[in-house]
Order: sequence, then structure tokens, then C-alpha cells
Amino acid sequence: MQDLKLKAAEKRGAHQLGGDNLVGWDEVTQGIVLTSFDGDATGVSHKKAEERNYSDFNSYTATVASWRVMKPVFNIDVCIDCQNCWVWCPDSSILSRDKQMLGIDYDHCKGCEVCVEVCPTNPKSLLMFSEYEDLGNALASWPEKKKKEKK
Amino acid sequence: MAITSIKNLKEFSTNNDRFEGAHTLCPGCAHSMIVRELMNCTDDNLVVSSNTGCLEVSTAVYPFTSWDTSWIHIGFENAATSVSAAQVMHKVRKKKGTLKDNDAPVKFVAFGGDGSTYDIGFQWLSGAFERQHDFTYICLDNENYANTGGQRSSATPIGATTSTSVAGTHSYGKKEKKKDIVSIMAAHGAPYVAQLSPNKWKMMAKGFQKALEAEGPCFINTVSPCCTEWKFEPKDTIAITDLAVDSLMFPMYEIIDGHELNILYRPKNILKVEDYLGAQGRYKHLFKPEYKHIIEKIQSDIDEDWARLQRREEARV
Amino acid sequence: MAVEFEVNEREVWDGNYAASQALRQADVDVVVAYPITPSTPIVENYGAYVGNGYIDGEFIMVESEHAAMSGCIGASAAGGRVSTATSSQGFALMVEVLYQASGMRLPIVLNVVNRALAAPLNVRGDHADMYLGRDSGWLQMSAFNAQEAYDLALCAFKIAENHSVRLPMMVHQDGFITSHTAQNVYPLSNEAAKKFVGVMNPVDDMLDFSRPVTYGAQTEEDWHFEHKAKQHKAIMDSASVIDSVFAEFKELTGREYNRVETYDMEDAEVCVIGLGSTVESARVAAKEMRKEGVKAGVVAMRVFRPFPYEEVREALKGCKSIAVTDRSSPGGAMGAFYNEVAAAMMTSQSRPLVTNYIYGLGGRDLSIENIKTIFREQQANADAGYITTDIQQFTNLRGPKLGFFKTERN
Repeated sequence: MQDLKLKAAEKRGAHQLGGDNLVGWDEVTQGIVLTSFDGDATGVSHKKAEERNYSDFNSYTATVASWRVMKPVFNIDVCIDCQNCWVWCPDSSILSRDKQMLGIDYDHCKGCEVCVEVCPTNPKSLLMFSEYEDLGNALASWPEKKKKEKK
Repeated sequence: MAITSIKNLKEFSTNNDRFEGAHTLCPGCAHSMIVRELMNCTDDNLVVSSNTGCLEVSTAVYPFTSWDTSWIHIGFENAATSVSAAQVMHKVRKKKGTLKDNDAPVKFVAFGGDGSTYDIGFQWLSGAFERQHDFTYICLDNENYANTGGQRSSATPIGATTSTSVAGTHSYGKKEKKKDIVSIMAAHGAPYVAQLSPNKWKMMAKGFQKALEAEGPCFINTVSPCCTEWKFEPKDTIAITDLAVDSLMFPMYEIIDGHELNILYRPKNILKVEDYLGAQGRYKHLFKPEYKHIIEKIQSDIDEDWARLQRREEARV
Repeated sequence: MAVEFEVNEREVWDGNYAASQALRQADVDVVVAYPITPSTPIVENYGAYVGNGYIDGEFIMVESEHAAMSGCIGASAAGGRVSTATSSQGFALMVEVLYQASGMRLPIVLNVVNRALAAPLNVRGDHADMYLGRDSGWLQMSAFNAQEAYDLALCAFKIAENHSVRLPMMVHQDGFITSHTAQNVYPLSNEAAKKFVGVMNPVDDMLDFSRPVTYGAQTEEDWHFEHKAKQHKAIMDSASVIDSVFAEFKELTGREYNRVETYDMEDAEVCVIGLGSTVESARVAAKEMRKEGVKAGVVAMRVFRPFPYEEVREALKGCKSIAVTDRSSPGGAMGAFYNEVAAAMMTSQSRPLVTNYIYGLGGRDLSIENIKTIFREQQANADAGYITTDIQQFTNLRGPKLGFFKTERN
């Protein structure tokens, strides 16, 4: 997987959901209000994730990686950048930039396998492996192209 | 308004997500697919409200928010009211010039599950539509109260087992037909009402854009398969929506200005409803011989509804 | 630009009209409302001001009171000035969302024209709705006449929107007795009122897209308690802001308001404490009792939330016997107001005798004679050194005398 060198990298996965820094009544935000960004966030829809100044309250800075038992592994050599995985990923975990699929955001991926199911390539460009499988081993064990079964 | 390109998926994928990961929706949940798609359809500023439900409890759990836009949740029933009043406030403040940025385009969107839309929040939704506020209401229809453990709602179809319409030796599950919310909302004279499905991403995105662009209240019912309560594997969410639209259990259509009905998708091969029902645990009991007539009933309802939709499309009334 | 609405130095307004004029002069941006007797004219009038161009705001008439407060919350979170009015059953329907408004710290001003809660259905004034809101996290003030309904509505915006307060506020007036009785009212000029209330400075503005905000997040056992504690602290701390706004208002108009009002209390030995329009009757009764040689005084609650424990204690410290009047069906307990006054006096040096009178339910009149009887009973208590009557009594009720609970004596 390509390294996006995310600007917010130092914050990525900083929080385990539920394992928060519990502050006292005098420090909680007024009115339970949460801010999504630090500083001026004007025009944020035109900024890529790595260009944004996410606040600590933004779940972007949190991880749900512990939910996963199996993980999808991405094989760039097979991918045709169709973006099926991007549009149907329920966890905003497909890292896609400039129409290219770059990899998976393992802080946010819950391992639902939808991306694998909707991948149209042969063999698939995304396959599920054990959470602990080494990337090199996973790619080395990638299946060959399936031949069409004769009818 | 600044709608984003949905010419093809590659173009669409250049949009930057404004709905962030590490929310706590179930793996494979269709809710977030639909929400992401709505938010990627436009570059405009958004004010989003949500009724209580899975989406709400999973995306704003203190001290986290998954929303990169302004968002408000009050109660189970009032997302349509809160966002439409915010829209009126926007109008007033724009006129008075008290907004931080008076020229920035803004769209107002409310999300609700079927429980909050069809049932508890229906009065609030109907009121906001009658008042002709300029906002878009998206129902994430997973046909049950999933957030509270899968009780029947008035969106639950006949024959589905839920925790309050339990199928057993003396019952085939829910007895009543699903409420036709799309017709009800169209009857408010709304400029745009539609029923859409996430597997047809482009039709859904196009529908969202039409709704955001139209002036006045727009309603979109989206099929949002719930792997937890419909009982299927999370990976199959999109496959289930394929079955839903190809069996015509969820026909995709739009109604303009309350009367002009257009069917948006005609399956090349219409599937038998068994294919759809059989893929989900909530209908498993229907395949017992004693409940065969229920499947037949569901199929005949679908056939009749499809025929009626086509007649309405032709009639243009 | 709004058309100038001319006001005279002296007007003859009822409480509803007075409150609606305050909304106009405060330049409220959005009113989201649903009509209910007896509060309806407040929002009707605001709608008419919009319709005639006297205000650059919007009036949204929704389909229920629940939606009215829901809309107020959405509009308030969208950063403008918001107000509405309700009564009774409408108030009850709003209750779910009242808690949301205060929890989200939104400075909405709600004019409550007090009316009894059914069953049995009744459109007249009692304080059942006011009491229903007492734990809702709102600030609550009570107006005893039309002038006060006007004055306090203006003050309410200034208090609620103060950045160290940021809490919604109710201004109560009694149904019909205050809301529908035309009285002399001395309004501020439009300009003076506008200047006094000031410009709304939004906090956590949903329409400020340089700073998107999330309202209404969920908190469970690890966060909820801290948020509610912070809110309670803010309610308690609002007292000083209320005092300073009252002081500023006095400087502007000469009209003085205090969180606890006292009348003839300098040397009073017996006293009636109450709130609402009854206070005015009690003041007349006290004067008459003084002619009979009874050192009678009246204490009135201007601010019901935050409950001014210290000021109540201070006001009542010289009294020997106190009648706490509750205009709400107590439902199997002492009156709620009684409990609070008794709690305050329990921690005082003097620990006076404190009795409870339930009166005026559903708009039943409380006459000067009734109040004089209450004073006489307090005098008897003071003379005896113990409560000679039932601790809780029902006043001006037909049928056999109804009372509960006697004082414990050796």
C-alpha cells in the first residue's frame, strides 16, 4: 500500500473509540458541542483528508481497527481503478486519489468484505486475509486469473 | 449550486469525503454508503440533521463526531423540523447580513431511519413538507427498528420476523403490508420524491442531486439492507440490494411535483421474490411448506404494485 | 428594513400583548410556534408584526408544540435569536425537547402563560406547567403583571444569551389574570429596547462553515454526568448575571427587579411567600393585616430557577411563621415550592415554622380574605410556637376541610 504521508498522520489512530481521555465536568465542551476541525475549515469539501486540520473530536482521528478479524489486502497489480470499492465502502476506508485506488485505511476498515465482493477484476484486486497475515505473504499467495468455465 | 461530477465512478471518486470513518455502524451497513454518497454529491456547505437511530448513535458518540459539516440531532422524531427551522434562520440571517459568509451556498438535509420516518417522526416530516421548507429528507429504510434490537416498524414487509412480530409455530411474522411512504410523501406535492438503492450508485447520486437542486421539500426513500437484523453476511449488502431491485421488491422510481412518475430502473430479468427472500434469515421460516402461500402473496403484491407503477407512469396523473 | 412600530410612553396592554411587543423590540429572528390558550396572542402578534413588516424575522407555525420547540432548537443552533410561547398541555408536549434545548445550551426565550394541566381539562391559570419545567434545566422567571411580562421578556434575552450563561429561559405569567387583563404598561422606546437587549452573538453557530459543529452527541455513563453537572453549575452561576441585568434595567427604567422580592418584610413576623399574580393580592392582604396589628409581609419569587436559596433565607430570616403557597396539584407530596423554601429555612439559624397552602388550582380565585385567613393562621402559629394547623392545607376548596400532616411535638 502506498504511503499517503497524511498530514494528520500524527493524529491517525490516536484514539481507540471508548478509550478516551476522560476529563472532568469543568473541561467537557459546553452544550455537548463537538467541533470537526481546528482552525478555519472554510471550503473543506475541496480539501483532501491529508490537507485538513482535523480536531481531536473528529472520528477521522480515531481507530476501529480492533473490530477486525480479517482484513482486506489490496493488490495494485490487478486493480483497474474502477472505484467500486470506493463508492461502496461503508467506512470511508478506500484511499483513492486522482481516480486511482491507492490502498486501504486500516484505522477505519472494519473488515466487512464489501470491497472484495464488489471488486470486478479477475482475479480480484482485494482479498481477505487474516488480520495477522504479512502483506508480502498475502501478495505472494495471490490466486491466478480464473479461466472461464466452459459451458 | 455546486453539484459534483457523477459522469462515471472515477470522476465521482475524486470527491473528498465529508463523512468520516471510525463511526460505529455495523460492518457492511448500507447507511454509511448512502450517507457518504449524498455528501459526495455536492460541494456546497451542508447542515445535516438526524433523527435518533443507528446513524445518529453511531456517528456522534461523545467525544467523537464523524461529520465534517454542521450536524444536529435532537430526538427520534424531529430532524425534519430542526433542519427546516435552521433553513428559515439561514434565510433571515442572510437577509440581515449576520452570517459569517453571506454568499456561501448551503443545503439542508435530514436523515431518518424507517422507524422515525414512517412511524414516530411522521407528523414532523409531514408538517415540514406541508410548510414547503427547502430541504431534502433521506429515509434510510432498513425496514425495522435496528437500533433498539430489531422491532417491527410500519416499513417492515409482510412475513418478516422481527423481535415484535415473531415468526413461530402460530405466526409467519409480520402480518401487515409495508406502508407506501413514497406515495404519501408525493401526495404532499413535493417537487421531488424518489425511491432509490445504493447498488445503482449513479441513479442514486443523480436522485440526490435532483433533490438538492430542487427548491422545496424533497423526499428520498433508500433501501438500506441491515445485515444484523435481515440476517445476511456483511459482505453481501450490495448483493442484497441487487436482489431487492431486480425482484422489484424495491422498484426504483421518482415522482415529480406529486404526479409525474418515472420508473428509473427496469430489470432485464425480473427475479422471483424467493431469490430475495431466500438470501435473508428474516424470511427463512417462509420456506416451510405451511407458509408457501405467504411467499405467493408477497409475489402477487409485487406484481400488482409493479403493474400499478407502470400504469401511473403512463397515465401521468 | 423593518417598518417603525410606534409605541407611546404609556400603553394599555395585556400580558400577552406586552410579551409580544418585547419580542418585536428584541428583534427576534425566528419564532416557531403552535397556538394554545391562553398564550396564543403572543405568537399571533409576532406573526402579525412579520406580516406587516414591523420586524425582519420569520414566523413558522408548525404542527405541534413539540415541533415548535424542536424548530426553536434548530433555529437557535443556527445562530439567531429565537423565541416562542406556550401553555399547559402544549408545554407538556414540549417537555422532551425542553431538556434538549437546555442540554445543548441554546438561549431560547419561552413565554409561558401558566395554565392548569388536564385531566380535568381546564384553560385557566395555575402553575402546573411551570412546575413541570422546574427540572428541565431552563432558567425560570415569574412576572406578576403585564408590565413585568414585558420587562422580564426583554431581560430574558439578555440573560440567556450572555456567553457565561447560554441557557434557555422561561418567562412566566398567569393565564388570563395577567395575560388577558389590560393594564398600564410603560414600554421602552424601540431604540432603547434594542440597545438594552443588544446584538445576538452566536456561539457554536451551525451556519458558520469555517467551524462546523456537531450538536446533540450521545453520552453514556462515562460522560453524561459531567455534562449535566456542568449545566447545573451554569444554572447556579447565572444568578450573578441575572442580578447585573436587573441592575442595568433599573438604571434604564427605574424599575427594580430582584430574584426574591420583599414587601413589608422589614419587621415582618409572619409572611406569605408565593409567585405569580397572587403576590399582588397578598400585598394588599398584608397591608390590611398590619392595620389589625399583625406584622405581616410578603415574599415573592421573581426567579424560580436558579432557586435563590440564600436570598430566600435572607428574606425570611426574621419571620416566625411562613406560609408557602403552591398553585399546583402536589400529587402526593408537599408542594414543590414548599419543599424548596423549607429546605432553605432548614439550614437557617432561625428555623421558622413553615406551612404549605395549596390554592387556586384551575384558576380558582384566591381572595384577599383567603390570604388574610392564612396570615391569621401564621400569627397563631407564631404565638403558639408550633404549627397549629395541618402542615399542608387546601385553601378555598369546597367540601370538608382538606389538610395533611401534623407537626411532631412532645
